[in-house]
Amino acid sequence: MSYYFTIIGTRDNPLFELDFGTSKVGGDGVARFREEAKYMNQFIVHAALDVVEEVQWTNKEMYLKRIDSFQNNHVHCFLTGGNVKFMLLMNPDPTATTYSAYPTSQPSRPSTARQSTTLLAASPNSQATEEAVRAFMLEVYENWVKCIMNPFYQVNQVVTSPVFRNRVATAAKKYL
Amino acid sequence: MTSTLDDPLQSPQDSDSEQSIAVPKRRHGKSPLASVANLPYRRSNASLSTLFASTTSLPSSQNNTASPSESQVGTPTAGTVNGSVFSPAGSTLRSPSPAAHPAQLGANTETRDLILRAYSPHVSLLASQDTEELIRHKGINGGLLEILRPFGERVQGKVTIRDSSGVSRSWEDYGIRFTGVKDGLESPRAADRQSIDSVGSGKRNGQRSSMLEYKPARLRSGGDVPQIEDLVERHLTFAEEQSGPIEADYLNHKDTESRESNAPSPFYLLYLRRLLSGLPMVPSETLSHPVATVIAISSRSANPIEELRNLFHSSNQGEHRLPQWVHNEFLRYYVLVHDEDYDDITTSMNLFDQMKRHFGLHCHLLRLRSTQCVPSDDGAIKLPHCEWTSAAEELAEIVRRETSEDDEDSTPCIFDSDANAIRAFVREMVTQSIVPSMERASATWNDQVASRRRGLSGRFMSLSKRFTTFGGRNTSVPALAGGGSNYDSLQGFYRPDAPEAIMRKLADYGMMLRDYKLAHSTYEILCQDFKNDKAWRYYAGANEMAAYLETAYYSYLSRVGAPYNALRTLVLGAELLKMRIGSALDDAARWSSRLLEDRVVGPVGHVLLMERIAACFTERKGIATGLTEGERKRKAGFWNMLATEAWLRTEKTSQAERCLREAEQLYRLEEQGVEFDGMHRSLRALQEAVKANRNGPQHFDGADLLGDDLELQTQTVETLQDPLQQDFGGPRSPLRAAFGHGHRKSLSAAIAPMQPPPIQTEFGDPLGVVPSAYQGGLDLNSAVSQHGVDVPAASPIVERKTPREDGFE
Repeated sequence: MSYYFTIIGTRDNPLFELDFGTSKVGGDGVARFREEAKYMNQFIVHAALDVVEEVQWTNKEMYLKRIDSFQNNHVHCFLTGGNVKFMLLMNPDPTATTYSAYPTSQPSRPSTARQSTTLLAASPNSQATEEAVRAFMLEVYENWVKCIMNPFYQVNQVVTSPVFRNRVATAAKKYL
Repeated sequence: MTSTLDDPLQSPQDSDSEQSIAVPKRRHGKSPLASVANLPYRRSNASLSTLFASTTSLPSSQNNTASPSESQVGTPTAGTVNGSVFSPAGSTLRSPSPAAHPAQLGANTETRDLILRAYSPHVSLLASQDTEELIRHKGINGGLLEILRPFGERVQGKVTIRDSSGVSRSWEDYGIRFTGVKDGLESPRAADRQSIDSVGSGKRNGQRSSMLEYKPARLRSGGDVPQIEDLVERHLTFAEEQSGPIEADYLNHKDTESRESNAPSPFYLLYLRRLLSGLPMVPSETLSHPVATVIAISSRSANPIEELRNLFHSSNQGEHRLPQWVHNEFLRYYVLVHDEDYDDITTSMNLFDQMKRHFGLHCHLLRLRSTQCVPSDDGAIKLPHCEWTSAAEELAEIVRRETSEDDEDSTPCIFDSDANAIRAFVREMVTQSIVPSMERASATWNDQVASRRRGLSGRFMSLSKRFTTFGGRNTSVPALAGGGSNYDSLQGFYRPDAPEAIMRKLADYGMMLRDYKLAHSTYEILCQDFKNDKAWRYYAGANEMAAYLETAYYSYLSRVGAPYNALRTLVLGAELLKMRIGSALDDAARWSSRLLEDRVVGPVGHVLLMERIAACFTERKGIATGLTEGERKRKAGFWNMLATEAWLRTEKTSQAERCLREAEQLYRLEEQGVEFDGMHRSLRALQEAVKANRNGPQHFDGADLLGDDLELQTQTVETLQDPLQQDFGGPRSPLRAAFGHGHRKSLSAAIAPMQPPPIQTEFGDPLGVVPSAYQGGLDLNSAVSQHGVDVPAASPIVERKTPREDGFE
């Protein structure tokens, strides 16, 4: 169970990126993505922006719920009033993701089903998952607002603040 | 390894010649170098390149066998390479009645026409012994079937069909499929053949005609996904080899051709066509059941009427009787083949008159010459290629030509007069016998069976049918024969005279006659019926045709375990959705990615489908002009990038380059770049990988075995391989341009206009210029794999053997 969280500015530019794993059910909070995921996650999240642009006009909420998926990666999105997107990619089992390669083994549906009772990402549409992600997003949003209220911050500037990073990590530990 | 590997392909030859079996073994069994050493030889093999002509695009002007008016080939060589009937340009030639669909002209028509033509009536051929001999004398080993088949695929002129509401419509591109009597019944795999052989061996002794058959019927049945994969893989490999520098001028065609960017790749079209070729004959769908049988005798026969009677008899009860689930009351068409060169026409005319008196209208006198035609003869034309051959058949042909010593194109020739006679015959048969009899049959069935089930009373009937059998029908036990159901659940089929079977046949006739309203309404009724009877295979089939994708896919995959049908359902469904544009494009992409996730396709289909998904997203337009909302450019770029990676992994560099170019445009990599650094880096790495592999990695190890020019080029590649990392200037850097032009003209259709034209001269001495410019630098391979792109750039030879070892052959 691994997560990739990124904040995307108005020009499709990343402002903040963070990988982390789950801290629930005995997780150690470390992301276990495959090597390719370093750029593949970016591609997937970037591709999901197409859907965000469409969904944002039909949804009044800032939290847009799960908007896209690719293989076993699921993308949830939170859209701020300033057109900044918080994108959270979750992957219950990164080893099962093949990306462009031809999958050599049958997708291990049963095994993920066994874990599904405990893991959020195994049932990305469920009420529990949506609630947890919403809470996470709201907390990040609160910190985000505080962060960009910094008078020296400019629009679309990359956020490097270690304090902000810590707070996002704490929120992740708390909810995901 | 080799024996299992070649098994399915041996059978065409074991009825052909013993010697050629050993040759492919030798070829595959040797070290990788052996296959490299073969490359220059294969490249010059004209007979082989005709086979691959469908995917290596050739310009339309040279498509000289396509239209009868130009079909005269004066010199023997003119038609060898260019005479493909089915180059992509050729298929636009035959797009059906464009006036009828003015709105849909464009890239879509290619796939739509293909699907339209895929459902053609099947006409089986039953020829007497002496007829087959007569045709073989002409040098056509496949007998009557081989000579008729290409002409059946496209009936000359318009064919007018009346639909169920009495409206006539003309079709330019109507065709029929000639098949052998038992085609489509056996699986094309050799492994499955054992059982059938043991059953059929006794029969075989008494059946001399099938012993003599050039290619066994087994090969002509399709429906085998691995074989389709394998075939397309061979086409791809051939295209890679062809796109090497040696054939640079040949590939110039692609530059000038300037394909529309969203036109489907020829390989995808090939995949689609092979998926729909040689539909297996099964009880649950009657699309491949014959609608007519041609019974042919020749003027050589001593006792022609007796011969006809025997053949007719054998098609009803004897050895040529189809399984009992096939409706046997189809049209019999009688043909007398007259030998123009040796036999007396008056005798034949008398005989033909006699036939007419006996059999009525459904007769034809086909006048053919029996002498062998050589290309230098006056009025000789190549026998056109079949478009709708099954994958197994084409594979067998490829292997045969690859191993043949003869470098000439081995496509047999026929006389122009013969071709005209056959065209006239096919046209007469289709317009005067087959179509009218199908119209009549479907009108009758519609009247007697289907119309009772339509409307309100029909609903009641199905209700009463359901509930009359002792109160509740929801018994968990499937109803055995009787019990109100016509479905024989033990044997798994409906008898052909059951109303359900007749309605399925009616609906399929609707498909073949292109009366889609009738077909659809009938399929819908059938869905319910089959569900009630728990006839799952039938149920899945009806749902497939009624385009209930979800149910059909689930039933095929989970209930009856038929991945081929599941694949066919979704690929066609996605294609049809794609034509509707708008939000249907998203659905198309979703269904395609479902196929990918469920692993219904093989590795080649996997990449082709990725490309197709990218094409779906590319086509998606914004909600209004000027607004980007609703576009799917990012997604399209993403899928193109995935396809690039996958092509590189399978060493199809030119394909990879094409996808990458799309991706670059979609991401606008050159103008503004991508903000995500990981994405940016990986796209650059892909560019480098494509560049490094461009000259075809397959030439590497075999340098010493090859001729001088190849060695020269190999060194160039090696020196270029390392240091391209330095050349970060992107595709517009002059060196890349020079490189691109000198070696691979075809590849940069989009980039080419930006490049300075007089490049050939600059690039006079590749060994002199290039190494100095690229001295030193990083090893590309490691640089690429840092980003996780697993591109086997340096040692591809070992890799590329693997697809052949998986037993697909």
